[in-house]
Amino acid sequence: MIEMKKKESTHNILGDHVETDKRVLEGSRSAPAFRGDVVFTVSDAQPADPELIRLAVATCAPRAITSNEVDGEFQLTLDKGRCIMCGRCEEAAPIIFEAKSNFARPARKRSELVVARPPENAATGPGSSHEEIGKRLSEKIRGTLGRSLAIREVDAGSCNGCEVEVAALNNAIYDVERFGVHFVASPRHADVLLVTGVGTRNMESALRRTYDATPDPKVVVAVGACACTGGIFGDTYATSGGVGNIVPVDVYVPGCPPRPEALLYGLLLAVDRIG
Amino acid sequence: MTTDGAADVHSGAARLESVLLGRFGGRLTSVRVINRNEVHVDLGSKEDIPVLCLYVSDELKGRLATVVCSDERRVSGSFLLRYAFDIENGEDVFVVVTARVEQGLPPSPASFPSLALRLPASALYEREIKDMFGLIPEEHPDPRPLTLHEHWPEDVFPMRKEFELRTKVAKAQDRGYAFLKVEGDGVTEIPVGPVHAGIIEPGHFRFSVLGETIANLETRLFYTHRGVEKLAEDLRLDQVLLLSERISGDESVANSSAYCQAVEKVAGVTPPPRALQVRAVCAELERVYNHVGTLAGLSTDVGFAYGAARLNILKERMMRLNEEVAGSRLLFGVNRVGGVGIDLPPDKSRLVKDTIDGVLDDFNRMVKLLKRDSSVMDRLRGTGAIGPNEAAEMGLVGVAARSSGLDIDTRRDHPYGAYGSITISPRYDTPRHITEREVEMATRRGDVLARFETRVEEVVNSVNIVGEVLRSLDSGPELQAPVPREALRPFGHALGYAESHRGQTVHWVMIGDAPDSIFRYKVRTASFANWPAIETAVLNDIVADFPLINKSLDLSYAGNDL
Repeated sequence: MIEMKKKESTHNILGDHVETDKRVLEGSRSAPAFRGDVVFTVSDAQPADPELIRLAVATCAPRAITSNEVDGEFQLTLDKGRCIMCGRCEEAAPIIFEAKSNFARPARKRSELVVARPPENAATGPGSSHEEIGKRLSEKIRGTLGRSLAIREVDAGSCNGCEVEVAALNNAIYDVERFGVHFVASPRHADVLLVTGVGTRNMESALRRTYDATPDPKVVVAVGACACTGGIFGDTYATSGGVGNIVPVDVYVPGCPPRPEALLYGLLLAVDRIG
Repeated sequence: MTTDGAADVHSGAARLESVLLGRFGGRLTSVRVINRNEVHVDLGSKEDIPVLCLYVSDELKGRLATVVCSDERRVSGSFLLRYAFDIENGEDVFVVVTARVEQGLPPSPASFPSLALRLPASALYEREIKDMFGLIPEEHPDPRPLTLHEHWPEDVFPMRKEFELRTKVAKAQDRGYAFLKVEGDGVTEIPVGPVHAGIIEPGHFRFSVLGETIANLETRLFYTHRGVEKLAEDLRLDQVLLLSERISGDESVANSSAYCQAVEKVAGVTPPPRALQVRAVCAELERVYNHVGTLAGLSTDVGFAYGAARLNILKERMMRLNEEVAGSRLLFGVNRVGGVGIDLPPDKSRLVKDTIDGVLDDFNRMVKLLKRDSSVMDRLRGTGAIGPNEAAEMGLVGVAARSSGLDIDTRRDHPYGAYGSITISPRYDTPRHITEREVEMATRRGDVLARFETRVEEVVNSVNIVGEVLRSLDSGPELQAPVPREALRPFGHALGYAESHRGQTVHWVMIGDAPDSIFRYKVRTASFANWPAIETAVLNDIVADFPLINKSLDLSYAGNDL
């Protein structure tokens, strides 16, 4: 008789608990330390010290902060589409800037990402969790498309940070397939092009051809500071200063990189465009 | 024959200095040691590049770590080529062979002797230099462009100083790229990319297949070329730090550490001990979340979705920890020139320790499950093998090198930051253990399974390192040493290096003459060194195994393309 070694059972190896402990599932909001949405502080409406403004403008590597002198007063604007959430402006001028721990809201128009000081509607509530956004997205997809939203992701020159977050949407925590969001292998099957990266010159024709291969109606979502505006890489010999300069963009998702919740929120806006 | 700061010169560097001087004295204009462990050898003539470089490579067993070209015509009247070799025989030394290349008079362009045929690892650097600087490597076997694709005019050299960063170069006629043709009965070509089916970065793969078997593979990269090095010359020192984090998003700590280290060396500044420890902890956290992610990817690619799902949960837990610690899920914002921008107070330290211990426990169970499963193991074993000689010839680094039996690890061979007092692999300290290590390295077969096992081992090691560092955290409140502007002397330069989860990343920084500016920033990530490996590894495997082999090497496109 040959004695077969009995295989150790899966249950024996894995034990009773699972990796998805409660904290991970429920704590679906960003950590308090997260440097997310950079906003103008509301505390003071008085004109800020010109020296401080100059410092803040000079500090910002992607040039998201600009100042204009009007009648001897400095007007500050902040372009969230450029912001890479490094938090240096908050360190340099904490009475003007604050990095919130919620994600920056995606927008349908590029201009919606540019805010002026003093802020008009400064109240930014706590960021929604991926469960809340996902449920709204799921309803919207059912209402508009019937079943599912097909997405083709295109890296047009990112640092792969955005890819890490887009890929995270498919992990068992976010698990976006349950909301009807489906990543497809070909642009020909896609409703949405999720484009990351600065739009490099070497990717220009590939991006354009991918766009052309996507059937109408199609929506382009620019993901991350690079895709929105060029981010820290800007507009140079090698880059296009944002994928909007190569293909028409319908939704802008700011962030460096945007959190998975922000990506879901961006998809919510994308479905609106189709409907 | 000068030594900067003679008191602090590595003994091995001093020895090599005299060896090189004794042997090649007549051909050299100077030999000197700077930054403690860089032996700089200046050649009188560029024609001596092959003699010196091959001596360092063959006799001194130096591994080509990077080749830096810089346009110093404005400063010294010529282009400079610096070949940096990494000596890994236990002596913490780099040998940098420097040669001048004068600007050629039209119509003959400036050129330099190519090493590609005798030192294959130099081939890609030389093609890159040709594209970016317009210096011609003489008798290079591969004249095709590399960084600048077919639609770039042939007379544009972006890294030359007269080329302005924001120049928009008109598109030239697409010249096409001459892929190697494999001909014969039944040979077909499969073009893949640059836009792939999965959520990954862009690159083009041209397979020539005979049935299912891969007869040849050519990779065509640089689709994500963002002009990182040129852009750095336009930014301030503190802004380049943010840029270095975004060279390859998932290795932000390694790349920014290497950058900071180079600038700190030029300034002669040592960050406070606690800052270096925080750096090391974050570097290891980075290693853990990426290795776990790669192992999840391998699990996906062999069709074991359950394993991938559970490992990806662990990755997500690590990324949430990253966010708690650094305010960014990708650990952006950890480093500052002169120290770090974050701290690990007791509550954070405890959170780190608890989380990684929990993750490790689950990780070990998952690995056991994967190893038990023959449907997983059979796909890994013998797939995508790279032999030790091939690995050495290509100059591989990191996990790819260690899995092929090359025992190199920058954390141990060139202990930087806090790594001088950290045990990288706890078992190798006695002669017996060292012999065991040698035997073990010799048995590594360089296949996907070996890379799988190396990664598993490194996850465990990294968790131990984090624990060790957290136990001995320096109590000093200082987290950043001041970097005085006057210490950054114009044209001072240094090598910075770190071991990312992919392998050694080497950054060469030369300070500019304007305040806070950079004259030249040369980045060589592990991906640039390891990409050639895939063309070798897939030969005689089947097309269906390509994703698996690709994932096992875990290469970054962005880190390669810059």
